[in-house]
Amino acid sequence: MIRGVFVLGEQGNMIYSKEYAKGDSKANMVEFLVNLTHFLKTIDLEDKTEYMNVNISRIFYSKKDPFTFMFVADKADDANQIEEKMGELVDSFMREYANLALANQSLDGFDAKVDEIAVTMVKVAILGFAGVGKTTTLHLLRGETLPLVHDPTIGVSIKKLPEEISNANIVLWDLAGQSRFSILWAKMIANAQVVIIVTDSTLENVLRSKKLVSLVKDEVPDAKVIGIANKQDLPTALTPERVGQILSIPTYELVAIDISYRDRLIQIIRRAILEGKAEAKAA
Amino acid sequence: MPKATFIVQYTEFHGLIVTQRYPTSLSLNEKILNLIFLEHQKDKKEELIYSEIEGMKIGSYSSALYPGWMVCTVLSAEEDFDHLQRDLAGSGRLILALIAMDPESFSLEEILEKGSILKDLTEEQKLAEVFLTPSSALLLERMQTEGIEKAAKLSIWLRNQVQNDDVDLREAMAPLMESGIVAVELLGKTSEMVFLVKDIFGYREPPVDSILKIKETIPSIAEKYIEFVTEFFSPASPDKGYNPTLPVDDPNSPILEDREKIARILAERIHYRILTSLREQPLSIADISLKTSFPESVVRKLLYSLEAEKIAIRFEEEDLWGLLTNPRIESFLPEYLLPVISKKLSEKEISSDVARRHLELLIQTWGVAK
Ligand SMILES: Nc1nc2c(ncn2[C@@H]2O[C@H](COP(=O)(O)OP(=O)(O)OP(=O)(O)O)[C@@H](O)[C@H]2O)c(=O)[nH]1
Ligand SMILES: [Mg+2]
Repeated sequence: MIRGVFVLGEQGNMIYSKEYAKGDSKANMVEFLVNLTHFLKTIDLEDKTEYMNVNISRIFYSKKDPFTFMFVADKADDANQIEEKMGELVDSFMREYANLALANQSLDGFDAKVDEIAVTMVKVAILGFAGVGKTTTLHLLRGETLPLVHDPTIGVSIKKLPEEISNANIVLWDLAGQSRFSILWAKMIANAQVVIIVTDSTLENVLRSKKLVSLVKDEVPDAKVIGIANKQDLPTALTPERVGQILSIPTYELVAIDISYRDRLIQIIRRAILEGKAEAKAA
Repeated sequence: MPKATFIVQYTEFHGLIVTQRYPTSLSLNEKILNLIFLEHQKDKKEELIYSEIEGMKIGSYSSALYPGWMVCTVLSAEEDFDHLQRDLAGSGRLILALIAMDPESFSLEEILEKGSILKDLTEEQKLAEVFLTPSSALLLERMQTEGIEKAAKLSIWLRNQVQNDDVDLREAMAPLMESGIVAVELLGKTSEMVFLVKDIFGYREPPVDSILKIKETIPSIAEKYIEFVTEFFSPASPDKGYNPTLPVDDPNSPILEDREKIARILAERIHYRILTSLREQPLSIADISLKTSFPESVVRKLLYSLEAEKIAIRFEEEDLWGLLTNPRIESFLPEYLLPVISKKLSEKEISSDVARRHLELLIQTWGVAK
């Protein structure tokens, strides 16, 4: 995934920068990028995008005088796809923002454009104690047959959401809820843009789940967090309002074994992703 | 030979991914990967872990140096994990070091097929391994002053030193015991005693064999070679050159630091392979790559780092690499302990049985007439 987008001016001055995820240390990276711009001045890229590997990352760069454009991506990413995106970004910038940048004016709207181009992957983590219905929720979202028995997830199960739901690449991390896996939770929610905390809506489970809310707030303070009051078909279920009050996060009702909830759930997740982005921008 | 080997990488976006496997027919599933990963997350200090999952016996290696990576080996039914531990940790470390150097050119298949990666450690590597674990190196230092010590006391001392209650004396002691540097014996009914029976000494030797060989094979560079080596070991005054036998008292002296550096380079299998390939004579990068089965890109990087340590040197015109200094590690009889033992005995810190046993061990190890 693209972890950062940078546009530098003639003097190696930063015109625009945005980071989507932590990678190598930021200070090092910026220094490296500035040096790279100076170096690029001395060679002719002929409008091509090239890349080099730096530690865990791969840096893609392209030049269009007097600007230098860079993506920090992962080595595992498909280079062709990233080069394509670079092309899109350069075109859009040169067409609509180059003059503004040269005149030192603010680049209104460029940020949204960058999101549109660069956000190729959204990580959504589903967290909750054992048997509350996380895997069932995942199957519901993917439009698959719903499991009627509890087959505990081992570690994590990572699945994509179908394209019809969103053109961004949404990757769901269905974490294992059994307590022996709890040591993995903090690690596995890292860099999630959205965390969904699923409860089975019993008082006992919702109270315990408050711990999960604090875990998420500590580990991924920038993530959008929502609650799910699942198993609303059972007589023991607290109302979603009550669950939301206890957890202090926006909470939605669900019966994960009932496909009629699917569309609603998709809307909720779409909105969470958008709101997450909006909040990140405002911050 | 283990049945199969596979490498797993965990990233925050893709989760657990098998980056390479050998043989390629090996089939794995998410559950296996997750359970191995879980074990490594549980006990972060442990680098090598044994698990039995779905009937597979798996030894897996991870290291804080390479977060997210695991090298996993599937053992055959008759193989015993306990006996393979050292080798698995060593090859795991080697593989991860190679990947970190150049992920693109790394091929598990090549390394496993040609590399005979699970070679037994040589004597000098066993000695050097002491320096790979900081707590083992600390223990050695302590034993050099104490000579004999109760295991229980040593354990408390170590815990204090590293400020960590989890540190395991057994584990820290393992490389010392394996290389015969210390002996641990139960004396009397309760107290386990640790004896220092060998001390070790890392140093640089002039690459004599390699120079002799080159005089025969490529005489044209022999003169230059000798010049480089002389320049290092005995340069014209006022420079002092390198003399490892000078007595050093200052704990910060560069010679002491160099000893540890030498030991660490010998213990790092990836460096060790390169330098042993050069002991015989200077070689080209292609030759070294062939001999070590490391990709050329990796060989080049390793040579540069050995050059920076003044171990390797490049003959530019011929494009050959040779040893400037030959790292060695040797054990010697810790004679300096004799007064320590007698003092401990006279101050009743140890019994005469213990003192006698220590002398016996020293004699057994070093022979009567040396
Ligand atoms: N009645 C009812 N049962 C549900 C609902 N959602 C899930 N279940 C059942 O709850 C059980 C557990 O569901 P899973 O989705 O496997 O639970 P999980 O949260 O993934 O559990 P772990 O993987 O162990 O953490 C299954 O038997 C589901 O059929 C629901 O809304 N109502
Ligand atoms: Mg599950």
